[in-house]
Amino acid sequence: MDLDIIPSGLAAGSLYALVAVGFNILYRPTNVFNFAQGDLVMLGAMTGASGMAAGLPWFAALLGAAALVGLIGLAENVVAVAPVVRRSSVSHAWIISTLAYSLIIDNLVGHVWGPDPIRVDPPWPFSVTSFMVGGMRTSSYQLGLIVLTGVMILAIEQFYRTRAGKAVRAVAEDRDAALLRGIDPDALSRWSFFLGAGFAAMTGLLAAPTMYASTQLGPSLLVKGFEAAAVGGIGNNRGALIAGWILGLAEAFGGSVLSPGYQAASTFVLLLVILLIQPRGLFGAPEMRSV
Amino acid sequence: MSEPFVAAPRQSVRASGWLTVAAAVGLVLVFPIVAHSDYRLYLGTQVAIYLLVAMGLNLLSGYAGQPSLCHGALLAVGGYVTALATTDHGWSFWPAALASMGLTAAAGALIALPAFRVSAWYFALITLAFADVVGGMLVEWGGLTHSFDGVVGIPMPSLLGHTLSAGELFWLVSAVDIACFLMIANLIRGRFGRGFVALRDNEHAARASGISLIGLKMFAFVVSAAITGLAGAFYAVQKTVITPDDFTPDVSIFFLVVVVLGGSGRLWGPLIGTLAFFVVPELLTSLQSWRLLIYGIVLLALMLFAPHGLEGTLRSGWRKLIRPRDALPATAPQAIAAPVGEAGRNGMAVTITGLVKRFGGVTALDNIDLQIEAGSVHAIVGPNGSGKTTMLNMICGFFKPDEGSIRLDATDVVGRATARIARLGVGRTFQTPKLLPELTATANAMLGAYAAERASTVEVAIWAPRAAREHASLSARARYFLGFVGLGDRVNEPAGELPHGQQRLAEIARALMGQPRLLLLDEPAAGLSLSEIDRLGALIRSIAGLGVTVVIVEHHLDLVADICRRVSVLDRGRVLAEGTPDDVFRDPAVVSAYMGVRPLTDAQVPA
Amino acid sequence: MTARLQVEAIDVGYGHVGVLQQVSVDIPAGSIVALVGSNGAGKSTLLRAISGLLKPSRGRIVLDGADIAGLRPDRIVDAGVLHVAEGRRLFRQQSVADNLELGLYGSRLGRAGEDERYRLVFDLFPILGERRQSRAGVLSGGQQQMLAIAQALMRDPRVLMLDEPSLGLAPVIVDQVLDVIVRLRAAGTTIVLVEQMVERALEIADYAYVLQNGRIAGHGPAATLAASDLVKNAYIGTGHS
Repeated sequence: MDLDIIPSGLAAGSLYALVAVGFNILYRPTNVFNFAQGDLVMLGAMTGASGMAAGLPWFAALLGAAALVGLIGLAENVVAVAPVVRRSSVSHAWIISTLAYSLIIDNLVGHVWGPDPIRVDPPWPFSVTSFMVGGMRTSSYQLGLIVLTGVMILAIEQFYRTRAGKAVRAVAEDRDAALLRGIDPDALSRWSFFLGAGFAAMTGLLAAPTMYASTQLGPSLLVKGFEAAAVGGIGNNRGALIAGWILGLAEAFGGSVLSPGYQAASTFVLLLVILLIQPRGLFGAPEMRSV
Repeated sequence: MSEPFVAAPRQSVRASGWLTVAAAVGLVLVFPIVAHSDYRLYLGTQVAIYLLVAMGLNLLSGYAGQPSLCHGALLAVGGYVTALATTDHGWSFWPAALASMGLTAAAGALIALPAFRVSAWYFALITLAFADVVGGMLVEWGGLTHSFDGVVGIPMPSLLGHTLSAGELFWLVSAVDIACFLMIANLIRGRFGRGFVALRDNEHAARASGISLIGLKMFAFVVSAAITGLAGAFYAVQKTVITPDDFTPDVSIFFLVVVVLGGSGRLWGPLIGTLAFFVVPELLTSLQSWRLLIYGIVLLALMLFAPHGLEGTLRSGWRKLIRPRDALPATAPQAIAAPVGEAGRNGMAVTITGLVKRFGGVTALDNIDLQIEAGSVHAIVGPNGSGKTTMLNMICGFFKPDEGSIRLDATDVVGRATARIARLGVGRTFQTPKLLPELTATANAMLGAYAAERASTVEVAIWAPRAAREHASLSARARYFLGFVGLGDRVNEPAGELPHGQQRLAEIARALMGQPRLLLLDEPAAGLSLSEIDRLGALIRSIAGLGVTVVIVEHHLDLVADICRRVSVLDRGRVLAEGTPDDVFRDPAVVSAYMGVRPLTDAQVPA
Repeated sequence: MTARLQVEAIDVGYGHVGVLQQVSVDIPAGSIVALVGSNGAGKSTLLRAISGLLKPSRGRIVLDGADIAGLRPDRIVDAGVLHVAEGRRLFRQQSVADNLELGLYGSRLGRAGEDERYRLVFDLFPILGERRQSRAGVLSGGQQQMLAIAQALMRDPRVLMLDEPSLGLAPVIVDQVLDVIVRLRAAGTTIVLVEQMVERALEIADYAYVLQNGRIAGHGPAATLAASDLVKNAYIGTGHS
């Protein structure tokens, strides 16, 4: 085993944390865990890559991808979530309807972009060229990604301190009480789907330089992002960051000690063990009274 | 059609059920003869194998409400076990198929243990992650699985030296299908079906009826996985070659689509769903590359417009067409009297000492001491928010106290799971009735006897005489108790269609089915009319006549004064007064707690 | 700012079950009107219908001449009708200050106007000022009720509807809460009070309606009703007088 797994594990873990944060953004006001989130991330990577291929600068491609994918997330809320949740707020029909939405995106993207992975360059001044530091092989992009993820998650947390952010938390805690204070949960849900999908697109474009943009990205990030969200405690963004890093390191460790084929198994076993001990994750909120 | 939960006359269910089975056997027997082509026979066998998986998945996802995205992977585990055992290790098919079932069930149990402690959607994602891992391991463990080359030359099963032909394999798989169908129908008809639906639709009702949630979910998953493992064994021998590409993540999605399309949680759903898929094979081959898109659109459309799938749509269409009303003769409401053989039970005494419960900064119960005599009717009254329901929730184990002890007879129950407390003989009803809306009133009442049923799983699965007898006697008792509470004419109605007041009564019947020695009633009179309240009073008195201790939380003081031997008044989490209704309702402190601070004059005191 | 609220012959139901039938209530501007009746009589349902959580199937709800029946709850809040629900429905995970800020959600008061509201509620409930950084969930029951009322007051309501404000509170705290209600009326706020401590409610109310089984069983000036059997029967039930 060499120390390279530390930066590469943390960089991959950062991406998992970002996917998990995307889940949380949607989950907080809606109590819906979006099964299409992985495909929204993937779509962000693809549209961003195409934007850059068409000559757009990285940042413009990012904004374009975020806006487009945001609209697709908004459409998901309108078509696949709001009507199902309205019919029965307790059933889990949304699992199947968001899964259905993910299949549609996945298949359409496959037809538009084809099966081949697309290489995406990191934004200036970062590079994926590796160098040695402290006995570890890494790249400026890996390091930048780790730092940027921390910053982004802190920024998201800052958002939850604004009045709109507090309203989102209020809806999550007591929807009816929020209604009586003049908060419109449906409007917040729509915004959350738009912003959560936009955030997913950003995650996708950030993932592309290390993972390539391809339809393969969707399902694997769905699972990894869920694992990070569940280990960190659903709804807890800082928990997701730490959980993402733990999972990223576990994956890199498992892949390096055993063989790369064991990456998925390492994180899965870790997830099962943690849920067995702490069903609400490492940093999950305690259960509230429910009878 | 024998959908056991839907109102239909009992006898004709049997008759049409056996007729259907006979018809199915006939079809299966002639199919290989009339198929005329190997391809059609192959396709028929494939339908039969897929049907097996779909039935297993429907049990778990449809009935028990735990959506699985790993049935393709479980199929792979089953398939590889049989394939490798019969090729590389020279086993014969039969032990290999058993090993497929066993290992698949074990894999299921392993991931189910942590997954079932959390919400259904966690379960869905954990199964997805599991499928991902299995897919990876099929390649990774190349030494065992031959990696991308797959396993080739899987032999046909042989029986007494005779190797099965394609037609005989079809017969074999179909026979297993029919057996599996009957087994699932029996499980669903018995207590497991009611338990599964309770897991799906109301976990509180399940726990209060003595069901251990994790145990039952685990059972559903293990049975479902074992069926899928067996399907995997057949899959391997039918295809003779299996590779990791046979078990892409799409396969799991495919089975989910089949179940949802047919009608999830419907007995005939998997068959309808599987057939629907194979009726349009041409469409699917020409649109192969759009398959996921089609799955997605079909699933989405179903969730939006036909959540009960083709089966549900057909059934409701059929109902609209012929409008059958309850064919069963309405039972005349029975006079209220202690049911035969039910009387003379030992009521349970409740001793509460120093009970404290805090929610955040609010002390909901503050050092409560309370003694409830065995066999008495004891009311807990008090203003809203005084902690009455919290008290019931503590006795039956929904909440754990911060301090103090609760003893039922001599047993300290603090910290015990709700289901275990229920099994001691504690029944309860809820302020908002928690029934299973799709099941009939009878099935809902029978849920209450869940923990008391004695027929073993196998006996239920094959509907052995003991299971049949128990079912018949429970069903009769359920009808009896429904009559007892005054719902004799609604026994076959789905509980969700009963008016609110009657739902409360159905809950009482459900609680009585558990042969409680302590019955906790939470505001049973709320929303009832005056005449209904009188009837309720008579009912509670007859329940007490059985020897059951009754604890009632109630606002209608008339009713309380009428039926209770003792009353405890709670106010802001403390016991304000205790005694006979006459004494307590004259107590100025009580009157002021109810009506405001100024005590009423003597003339205004209810007497 | 004050307003008159009239409920005109509304029917409200949950699913197939009718809960309110032909209920009419007139709440004059700047008065306290009490709604009394036993559990399940439909008092909370009436408040939920007024605040838009439930849609009446028939009838009108008129605020100063404008029909607000069937509007979304946030529109009704915008119109100035605030509902303090039963059971202190706060956002327990958030601080006192955040809960108050949430009371301002959607308001267009501006910085100075908002500061003015904070001053007003801290003046009415000094304890909230002291505990502004505490999580709402750790407050005592009385403090939580004060916070719930204060949260609604942040929007400068024209009509304030209070559902069981005395619920589970010690008598001395109930006095404080009722005292605040009287002061709010003096400031011109129209108040709808649902209260099971009937006697206390009738002491401070100007007028009262008695609900029984989803219908108005009677109404009259609070003092008159306090002396009649109607109210007592609605609570304790008949047959024990």
